[in-house]
Amino acid sequence: MTTTTPQQLTVTRTTRAAAWLRKNLFSTWYNTALTIVFGAFILFVLFRLLGFLLDIDTTIIRVNLKLYMTGRFPNEQLERLWIGVYITSAGIGLFARAIARNAEVKALDAGMAIDHAGWQSIIRRFWPILVLVAIILGFTQTPLPALLTLGAAAIGIGAYVSGAALPRAVIKRSWLIPLVGTVAFYLGVAGFGGVGWDKWGGFFVNIVLTIAGITLAFPLGLMLALGRRSTLPVVRYLSVTYIEFLRGVPMISLLLLGAFALGFLIPGDQQFSLFIRLLIAITLFQSAYIAEVVRGGLQSVPKGQIEAGQSLGLSPWKTMRLIVLPQALRNVIPAMVGQFISLFKDTTLVSIVKLLDLLLAAQVSTAQPEFQAQGLQAVTLPFAALFFWVGCYVMSRESRRLERKLGVGER
Amino acid sequence: MTNREVFSDATQMAGTGETMIELEGVDKFFGDFQALKSINIRVGKQEVIVVIGPSGSGKSTMIRCINRLEKHDRGRITVNGIDLSDDIKNIQEIRKETGMVFQQFNLFPHLSVIDNITLGPRQVRNLPKKQAEDLAMDLLNRVQIPEQAQKYPGQLSGGQQQRVAIARSLAMNPQVMLFDEPTSALDPEMIKEVLDVMQELATSGMTMIVVTHEMGFAREVADRVVFMADGEIVEVGSPEHFFTNPEEDRTKLFLSQIL
Repeated sequence: MTTTTPQQLTVTRTTRAAAWLRKNLFSTWYNTALTIVFGAFILFVLFRLLGFLLDIDTTIIRVNLKLYMTGRFPNEQLERLWIGVYITSAGIGLFARAIARNAEVKALDAGMAIDHAGWQSIIRRFWPILVLVAIILGFTQTPLPALLTLGAAAIGIGAYVSGAALPRAVIKRSWLIPLVGTVAFYLGVAGFGGVGWDKWGGFFVNIVLTIAGITLAFPLGLMLALGRRSTLPVVRYLSVTYIEFLRGVPMISLLLLGAFALGFLIPGDQQFSLFIRLLIAITLFQSAYIAEVVRGGLQSVPKGQIEAGQSLGLSPWKTMRLIVLPQALRNVIPAMVGQFISLFKDTTLVSIVKLLDLLLAAQVSTAQPEFQAQGLQAVTLPFAALFFWVGCYVMSRESRRLERKLGVGER
Repeated sequence: MTNREVFSDATQMAGTGETMIELEGVDKFFGDFQALKSINIRVGKQEVIVVIGPSGSGKSTMIRCINRLEKHDRGRITVNGIDLSDDIKNIQEIRKETGMVFQQFNLFPHLSVIDNITLGPRQVRNLPKKQAEDLAMDLLNRVQIPEQAQKYPGQLSGGQQQRVAIARSLAMNPQVMLFDEPTSALDPEMIKEVLDVMQELATSGMTMIVVTHEMGFAREVADRVVFMADGEIVEVGSPEHFFTNPEEDRTKLFLSQIL
């Protein structure tokens, strides 16, 4: 190792760079050899990658963009999906405003400075989504989707601004907004003679499966975790059996069961669509994992917390709900979001049973007559992967943010 | 203050003469280990009892049995006329009557100081929010940290946290306060501020059972001092009698070790 002498600190930039190179890359003969070998390898890979990128033909993406986004959703009903998009952006705008307002009230109560989240912080937090939207719009064949997207952005901002007029009662119960939004979304997309969810596909179906999977599996997992700690032996054994059984089988086997066997278990002529059967399989599987994550959180809360609640005269249920659970769930945010991320990626497994999600769409598009046998998976699969990377990266960033925010006054 | 005659029998009380807490023949086992051996004690209304003894002598176990944080195996426990039984309703009634302060404070770290204090009144006594917050501010004034109301427990010193814990218990308007080594986890310079609050509480007529190693507090505030060893009550007496003229050998040995 060479040490930095005072003279070296004052020399010019170029000699400093040379010194850095010598110190870090060429300090010994074997270091030099490694540098040359790996340098050559990296240059080779970069060269090939650059050649590929320059040579890339994105026609397949342009032609199939609708297939990737929505599967075989009927063309004549596409406007319904845009209605869904608008309902979503209005809901997000209102919800964001309600949350911001609640945080403001809390900060005022605590005499703390209000943390004004400007548009810069929105961009810093969600830039991958913005980039993804820009890329998608770059592949559209008409300017209409871009205009409609601008419209969605305008509606979102408008909802945020007009959210100031929301009555106090609604702002306090801000969870009402996503609830009402979900119902409105479903009615807008599938209600009143629209196509049901069995026709949904593409990335749209990955998103819906993820969100529905989380909202259904989380409460179920929570109940299982509580059941596993119950003092009633029947409840405890049922929970343990459920969790250990479902954690012990591959998710694909559950998806296959959902696709081919679940129908026989349901009495009568009533048949659920493939989409619903797969959603049930995903929910059952994920809830077992979420139950174990929550159990870890429950165990992390010190016994003294429960005793303090009990000695105030709180019932066991209120002690759990008001004291143990809030701390337990905060402690497992990283693990929980990790679970959600893996759920998001696992929704691509529905392609096994031919539900046309983004991954399957990316795969089947390369079998179309004009594109087949040209190795175009090298174009479509990275494009599909980009969607998942964006979703996972944003979720992971947001979870770290949430951790920091909820860490206020941590011991 | 109440009278301070010598009582060598643990079932004889000081205070107003009415019984607040009564333990009769209480046994407690942890597996094969007997933590409490036939404990008999009566605590009068407004009486202050200080329990001392070597570690592992059953002091904490005894007061934790009184509000059923531990389940006793034999004997009878009565608090303010309510018999402690296995019935959950009954247990909750007793817990409403008894406040408890822990060695490790056990404040709720996810709630602000004022929410820590209002939680019990709002959830158990169904007090409206505004009323509960007024009550909490009164109590924070009483323990002399009203300016900390909106902070979180993690932002307070140990002494401040313990005073919040006392305020939290008082918010339930208990008839009895149990203290389980309330100053043992504190830095020396913070012990006095907590003891001052406890002394003020005693002066105001609260019935208290205090497990502590603070002999100065026992001498000044206690109506009776209870000495426990090996799960038994060895000796009971007024502080003067207890510290100047103990009768039992185990008491003498213990006092010679700590004084």
